[in-house]
Amino acid sequence: MPNIVACFKWVVDEAYIRRTSSGELDFSAVDYKISEYDRNAIEEAVRLKDAGGGSVIAITVSVPEATKGVKDALSRGADQCYFIADPSFRDLEPAQTAKVLADVIRNRVGSFDLILCGEGSSDLYAQQVGPRLAENLGIPCFSFVQKVSLEGGKVIAERRVEEGVEVVEATLPALVTVLPDVNIPRIPGVKDTLMASKKPVVTVKKEDLSGLADPTLRTVGLSAVRMERTCEKFGVDAAEIRRFVDGLKKRGVLK
Amino acid sequence: MSGVWVFAENRELTLELLGIGRILADEMGTTLSTFVAGDRERAKDYISRGANEVLFLPPLQEGQALEAYIPVIAGEAAKADPDIFLFAATMRGRDLAARIAARLDAGLCSGCVAIRFDKASKTFEAERLAYGGAAVQKVAFTARPAMAAIPPRIFEPAKEETGRDGQVRELPAAPPSTARVVEKKAKERKTTNLPDARVVVCAGRGFDKKEDLALVNQLADALGGEVGCTRPISEELHWLPEELCIGLSGISIKPELYIGLGVSGQIQHMTGIRGAKVIAAVNRDENAPIFGASDLGIVGDLYDVVPKLIEELKKTP
Repeated sequence: MPNIVACFKWVVDEAYIRRTSSGELDFSAVDYKISEYDRNAIEEAVRLKDAGGGSVIAITVSVPEATKGVKDALSRGADQCYFIADPSFRDLEPAQTAKVLADVIRNRVGSFDLILCGEGSSDLYAQQVGPRLAENLGIPCFSFVQKVSLEGGKVIAERRVEEGVEVVEATLPALVTVLPDVNIPRIPGVKDTLMASKKPVVTVKKEDLSGLADPTLRTVGLSAVRMERTCEKFGVDAAEIRRFVDGLKKRGVLK
Repeated sequence: MSGVWVFAENRELTLELLGIGRILADEMGTTLSTFVAGDRERAKDYISRGANEVLFLPPLQEGQALEAYIPVIAGEAAKADPDIFLFAATMRGRDLAARIAARLDAGLCSGCVAIRFDKASKTFEAERLAYGGAAVQKVAFTARPAMAAIPPRIFEPAKEETGRDGQVRELPAAPPSTARVVEKKAKERKTTNLPDARVVVCAGRGFDKKEDLALVNQLADALGGEVGCTRPISEELHWLPEELCIGLSGISIKPELYIGLGVSGQIQHMTGIRGAKVIAAVNRDENAPIFGASDLGIVGDLYDVVPKLIEELKKTP
């Protein structure tokens, strides 16, 4: 029976990021969510379990306030959750997160067959934690996968590449990062949420880890993207349409 | 040792990296190295376009994917200690870069859209987009080598120069892989001139059904342009092929004119059209975010507006 690990990140919901009148990013009214593609990773883990048995362990590296995310992951069908939390983990870079995950998966989760990650997180979208985690654990890695199955101790994956699709296989344990089209994540119902409260959560603190890697990157700036455009608006009657076409002509973009 | 290293999975992307790589190497006063997998003839081509050194990767065994080279590339980088290592951020390239970065304990700026070398401090600063394209994140590197995965079409391809000299160095063959390719399915690639089109007409969610996309084609024909779409049209509704998807997860375009029809203006999409000279939009929702990022916008039902627009364009000499 396979042990399937699904990694997820609790992120700022970018829809709530506002821009101040001076053009700065305003995070004061933000809400949080499980990163979109990580929902696909959890869903895929649960589907594989439904198809072939085993168990699903959700795991996250986050700040202590992310308990809502832990409960959300459990209500999406994971059997238990490893919650690695510390106030200083808000700004971990991918290299550090991947090492923390490798540490906990190797030393605490112990036996695992398949690790699933989203292709990237919806906040920073660095797309590194999955592949780095596989390297840290020394296991095969398939990224950008649109279909995955387990068969006779192997994982078979359809990964998207420039030329089309590559069907690949490897002996377990292995790691797979999934694309959003791999499945449609379920929306947890009331019953799922109630059940989630009864599932075990293993909290791992910073002191319990075998250390934290030094950063390899330093963020030296984060600013709003500016789009300077003239923002002229037009109506739908004949004269307005003509004025619009004239506008295109004046800008020299018509042949 | 030092130097600028670049790796891309095909020639087109290698040339783009040689372009920016040559600029960096000249500023740093160092050499530029690139990789070539399997095809030794290609080496001369890369040398004539700015490479001082070509690292030749012997052909793979049956059933091996490009990732089989990871131990060879990472091993060579650990020995030669380049200052900076750039990858073309295709799906494969992003995966390779992250895995090699893990082996080298290096920092990787993924989705890198700008990179600079500061002569005074001898350090690099790179830029990437975050929060779905709403923010620019600037990063500095605190480990060697500085690594970046650069999406296609950010930098100009390197031009050929006669009389350039360089050497080819053969690397060890890839060791046996734990992963195996069992099948390759080529994409039914619809030929599209979208990336280089002068005019792009883009279909958004404002269309009721697939048949109505005829309007997009008609307007594109009237303007001598190509058709593109937003992610929901290709990925969720499958009305158009994924090659036509414009945005953070699709392609970036730099046309003279972009016209969005029923495009709301999600930041993920707008990121892909930032380089357009003129952005125009037709949307019935006056408050659609696209109007805030457009030069010209018609507030109205596209089903009403587009035929009128085509009519007017026909009248315009």
